[in-house]
Amino acid sequence: MSRTLKWILAVNLAVLAILAFVYPHLMVGPGKLIPGHAKLEADCFACHSAFTGAESQRCTTCHKPQDIGKLTTVGLPIDKPLTKTPFHQKLVSSDCVACHSDHAGVKRFRTTGRFNHLLLEKTARAECQTCHKAPTDDLHRQVTGQCSQCHSQDKWTPATFDHRKYFELDRDHNVQCVTCHVRNDYSRYTCYGCHEHSEQKIRREHIEEGIRDFNNCVECHRNADEHDIRGDFGKGRGEGKDSKRRKREKDDD
Amino acid sequence: MTHNLWRSHILPFTLLVGLLGAATLVGDFLLHRFNLVWIGRYLGIPGTLLIIASLFYSLRKRKMIASGNVKSWLRMHEVGTWLGSLMVLLHAGIHFNAILPWLATVAMGVNVISGMVGKLLLGRSREHVLGQRDHYQLRGMSKEDIERAVFWDAVTLDAMAKWRKVHIPIFIVFAVLALGHILSIFLFWGWA
Repeated sequence: MSRTLKWILAVNLAVLAILAFVYPHLMVGPGKLIPGHAKLEADCFACHSAFTGAESQRCTTCHKPQDIGKLTTVGLPIDKPLTKTPFHQKLVSSDCVACHSDHAGVKRFRTTGRFNHLLLEKTARAECQTCHKAPTDDLHRQVTGQCSQCHSQDKWTPATFDHRKYFELDRDHNVQCVTCHVRNDYSRYTCYGCHEHSEQKIRREHIEEGIRDFNNCVECHRNADEHDIRGDFGKGRGEGKDSKRRKREKDDD
Repeated sequence: MTHNLWRSHILPFTLLVGLLGAATLVGDFLLHRFNLVWIGRYLGIPGTLLIIASLFYSLRKRKMIASGNVKSWLRMHEVGTWLGSLMVLLHAGIHFNAILPWLATVAMGVNVISGMVGKLLLGRSREHVLGQRDHYQLRGMSKEDIERAVFWDAVTLDAMAKWRKVHIPIFIVFAVLALGHILSIFLFWGWA
C-alpha cells in the first residue's frame, strides 16, 4: 500500500471519528429519539452511562415515579394522560428500560402493547379493571369472579378457562355456544338444545336405569361417552346398563 | 474479451454475489414473516466472529502462523467471509438508523466483492489465459497471433489484478468502521 493511500485512509477515518463525537445521534445513535427527548439527541450521556447503558436513575431524576401519569416533569398537571389510572406508583422497582425505549431503532424490537405485569406490586396485579376495560359481551357481563380465573397476565387470549372441567367439547359436541347456553346465558345450560337429546328420550333411558334425578346432566356426564359416568350413579348403574345392553344385543342375535 | 471468459468466470462470480444478495433478502423476509427480527439483531456477533476467524488465512498466507494447510485456510476464508457477510447483512436489515454502521456495511460489501474478484476472476482467468496460449500454440499459431488472440483476456486479467490491490485498504476501512460501530455498542448498550 502506497504512503499516499495510507494517508488518505488515515485522514478519512480520523474525520469519521471526529464526526462520530460531534454528531453522535447521526453517526452512531440507533434512530431518532422520541419527540419529548429530542433536545437530548446530541447528549448521549444524559441518559446513558458508559458500558452500562441507559440507567433508570437518570430517568427518575426528571420523571419522578410518584408523579408519572399525574404531573409533567415541570410539575404541571397532565391534560390528557395516556392511561386512565396512573400505575407507575405501584411498580415494584424503577426499571424504565424494561418497557420504554426512546430510539426509533430500538423501539422496532419492542413488542408493542406488551407489559410484564410482574413489574406491578402483588395487590395491583389483581386490580385488572383499574387499567383494563371489562369486555361487555354477554359472557363477560355475567362473570363476577377474578379475570385470572380464565385469563393469564401474559396475554388475554387464549383464555385458560377449561371447558373440559365441566364438559368435554369433543367432535360430537363441536357446536355453537348458544346450542347449550341459550341466549348466551352461561350461568345455565341445557342438553336438549339438539335433536339427539330430547327430553322424552333422556327421561325414558334414565327411568329404565332407575335414575330419577337426571336434570343436571354434567353431574354424571362429562363427555359424549355414555359409559364414562361419574358421581354416585357411576359404578353400579353404569355396569347395570352395560349388562342390560349386552343382554339386549344378545336377544337381538 | 472472449465469450468463454464471461461465461466461465464472470458469470459464476456474478451468481455468487447475487446469491449473497438473494439470501439476504430471503433471510430478512423470513425473519420478519415469522416475527424473529430479534435474531437479526444478534446475528452481527456470530457474523463478525466468522469474519475474524476467516482472517487466519491471511496470517497463514503471510507465514505469521505456521499451522494448517493453506488451501484449507483459504477455503475457510472464502466460506467464512461469505457466511459472515450474510449474517452481518441480515443484522443490518433494511433499516437505516446511523451512518457509521452503514458505512461499515457498505465497506464490507465492497470488501466481499473485492475478495470474490480475487477468488474467482483472478485465479480462474489466469488459468484461462494460460490455457488459451497453450491451445493456440498447439494449433501452431505464431507468437504475435497468440498475443493478439489473448489480448483482451490479458487486459482484463491485468485490470483485475490491479483491482485486487485495493482489497487490503478496503479491508482496513471496513475493519476500522466496524470497530467503531462495535465500540459504540459496547459504550452505550445496557449490558447490566
